[in-house]
Amino acid sequence: MASLWLAPLPAQRFHRPLYFTLVVVTTLFTMSLLSAAIQDDGISTLEFLLLVLYAILMLWISASFWTAAIGFVRLMRRRQQVEIKAPGAETSPQPLDQSGFKTALVMPVYNEDPERVFAGLRAMYASLEETGQQAGFEVFILSDTRDPDTWIQEEMLWRRWAEDLGEPARLFYRNRDENRARKSGNVADFCRDWGGRYRYMIVLDADSIMSGETLVEMVRRMEADPQLALLQVPPIPVNRSSFFARMLQFAGSLYGRMFAAGLAFWQQDTANFWGHNAILRVRPFADHCGLPQLPGKEPFGGEILSHDFVEAALLARAGWKVQLAYDLGGSYEEIPPTLIDYAKRDRRWCQGNLQHARLVLAHGFKPLSRIHFAMGVMSYAASPLWLLFLVATGAEAYFKSLQSPVYFFGHNALPIWPESYVVEMTTVLWVTLIILFLPKILALLLLAADPQEARRFGGLRGASLSVLIESLLSVLLAPVLMLFQSKFVAAILLRTAVGWPTQQRGDHQTGILEAMGAHGIHTLIAVVTGYVAYVYVPDFFWWFTPVLVGLALSIPVSILTSRTSLGLHAKRAGLFLTPAETEEPPVLKQLDEQLGDALPQGVCGAGTQPPWTAAMVEPCIYALHDSLLHDKPSSRRGRHVLEGLIFQLQDDGADSLSIREKRALLAHREGLHLLHTRLWSGTDLPGPGG
Amino acid sequence: MGEGVAASLAAIDLPGAASGHSAFDRRAAERRARGYLRALGVSRESESQALLEQAMKRMELRAALGRLGEPLEAAVEEVHALLDQWLLSELGLNADPDALSAARAAVLGGDVPGWTARWAGLSGEPLAERIRAARVTAVPEPAPLQMEPSRIELCCYRLGLRLIAKIGRLLGLRGKRASSG
Repeated sequence: MASLWLAPLPAQRFHRPLYFTLVVVTTLFTMSLLSAAIQDDGISTLEFLLLVLYAILMLWISASFWTAAIGFVRLMRRRQQVEIKAPGAETSPQPLDQSGFKTALVMPVYNEDPERVFAGLRAMYASLEETGQQAGFEVFILSDTRDPDTWIQEEMLWRRWAEDLGEPARLFYRNRDENRARKSGNVADFCRDWGGRYRYMIVLDADSIMSGETLVEMVRRMEADPQLALLQVPPIPVNRSSFFARMLQFAGSLYGRMFAAGLAFWQQDTANFWGHNAILRVRPFADHCGLPQLPGKEPFGGEILSHDFVEAALLARAGWKVQLAYDLGGSYEEIPPTLIDYAKRDRRWCQGNLQHARLVLAHGFKPLSRIHFAMGVMSYAASPLWLLFLVATGAEAYFKSLQSPVYFFGHNALPIWPESYVVEMTTVLWVTLIILFLPKILALLLLAADPQEARRFGGLRGASLSVLIESLLSVLLAPVLMLFQSKFVAAILLRTAVGWPTQQRGDHQTGILEAMGAHGIHTLIAVVTGYVAYVYVPDFFWWFTPVLVGLALSIPVSILTSRTSLGLHAKRAGLFLTPAETEEPPVLKQLDEQLGDALPQGVCGAGTQPPWTAAMVEPCIYALHDSLLHDKPSSRRGRHVLEGLIFQLQDDGADSLSIREKRALLAHREGLHLLHTRLWSGTDLPGPGG
Repeated sequence: MGEGVAASLAAIDLPGAASGHSAFDRRAAERRARGYLRALGVSRESESQALLEQAMKRMELRAALGRLGEPLEAAVEEVHALLDQWLLSELGLNADPDALSAARAAVLGGDVPGWTARWAGLSGEPLAERIRAARVTAVPEPAPLQMEPSRIELCCYRLGLRLIAKIGRLLGLRGKRASSG
């Protein structure tokens, strides 16, 4: 399988010229259509603006369209040559010789649900054990967690698993004192401290799941190509139950593989890094991927937020290969369960992607890396551009409506009828819609050609109905996301920095107040814009209704799509089924089992008190936590600060302490010991669980 | 969260730096030390009694030296110190705080059966190997790599200012400012 994957495809050097020619020609073609439709009497400033906006947006969507179309052709061709399946499923591959090197599975975490983090890792490790190749792997939890309760829980779960695994130690845990440079700084600190121990590291996210076979295959591919520094395996969204998430999971599973195949076609050895579910060669990563601070202030200066694109570009700049393993399965991730959570995640990513605008023209990067940066920017800038395009279209329609046709010119006795451009405009619309929706049809054609695969998506009929519903809902959701993202872009351009909020990952549902708070403004915009359009440009109003309906219904749509009951009902009805649901992979089953196996109660168990309190009171948890701290020389001033915090806790209660202060009490051996003994010398004798 | 912690702390009067108690309520101190021993996992009366005696002796010495401080706190401190002292001698450690802390976590984690009897001096079976085996390594030995920030030269950064500066230099303005300054 590896040899097939590595075999050079014919005419590989023509892939990029072919792809970019198709994108540019499509853009020019659609521009010519629009230009013919609007240039009835020269070109006004507004029309010129419309053309420019349309050109940029068409470039964007035709890039996506041709990626999918090429992916479709590629998958169809490959289907005849070799069935794409999870690695190792066809023939049992040769055992991987891992003597002389180790691979680290690194999971950077930041205030994540510790039970989910450890359940995921344990599931992956169990899957790795099934391959018999676990000896070459070590698991490293790189915690940047600041929340004291979560910190202690992570330690307890680590200890419990480490005991289960026994010797030799293959499970490591560390919590950083200072979370400098966020996730990229966390991984960089790992390389600085322990990078020399590993040849490869597989970077995971808190919600990543990868099968053991895939982990081994990733290492095998890296070993096969010494110039390969980064191999990204596209993750498939899984495990959520809400209607919204199941719809995205279906779309991600069905269309995602086509897009990944298309991306691999034109990206070749200058692919991108998606931040997780990827294997990296540690030494070149350490040599070239230390990230500098960008000059200037936030939001465009300072730390590089979306580090992954930059790391891939730096590796490519240094002459290393970065590839996308589109044909590898067994790579999963979890996605936000609701529309509002999805938007919140966008808010976090938006600033990092916009920051890349400064890197597009930076010296030394490969042209394709520049395109990755530009595409990253466009993934958020497209929304305000669409918004501007809609506003400009409305204004153009209004101005046109003010003009009265003149039928008689000069001395002509016969009237001259004004030209109608309805055909041209309709053509523009249809071509745009085809570019947007044809990839969905292509994905269904792939299923039609492969009945076995179709069954994994709930059958061709169920999948077709799912695509139809998903398409209709995406029409409703698109304007809402457009407004969300436009707001984020505007906020960032107005120099409002984004924080680093933790993601809400588990299934939960949107309440009416939350929905009204998030979408009230969208509904208002729909009502006001709809009224203005209906009164002043009634012809335009009807063209505009798909956008208006999406905004007007945003509150009920957001609430309903967040419902897990609706998602499960759809599942029972055979809608939005994915292969991960119809044939649940063993590693996902393992995850379910691990999630059910919560932290035990007992001497060193969770007890009934919050973990933060338990770490100060329970000798067992106190001793465990103390053993994970480092003996640091403390200054007299530091000791006074700690004593001050203890007095504050004593006088004003725990609620008076900030998370940072609570963490400070737990972060120093001296202060912790002082607290522990003072608590045990109080009038009310503390005890386990009490 | 942690209301119990605040209540427990509120119940004690923290001693001043120079304060000392020459005499103390021995029964109260014993009760506290016994409670703490139970929390550490010492459940047998014989073990508890043996350790209590040692702790009380150390308290009396502190009291005699005028360094007792708050008696209940001193009782807990002395039990804790006894444990650390035993671990150091059992493992032959040379006051390495990280190794001591790891050993403490190993015994209190319940992974070394019979450790309380050995601590109380009621068992002759050495436990050093078992304690070492029960220690869980949080991180491996350091294997550092250099990772310096890469250089990224932005295009057009402060282009306007740089152009103005260049024009200024061409026009000799900078020289004039420098000379006037």
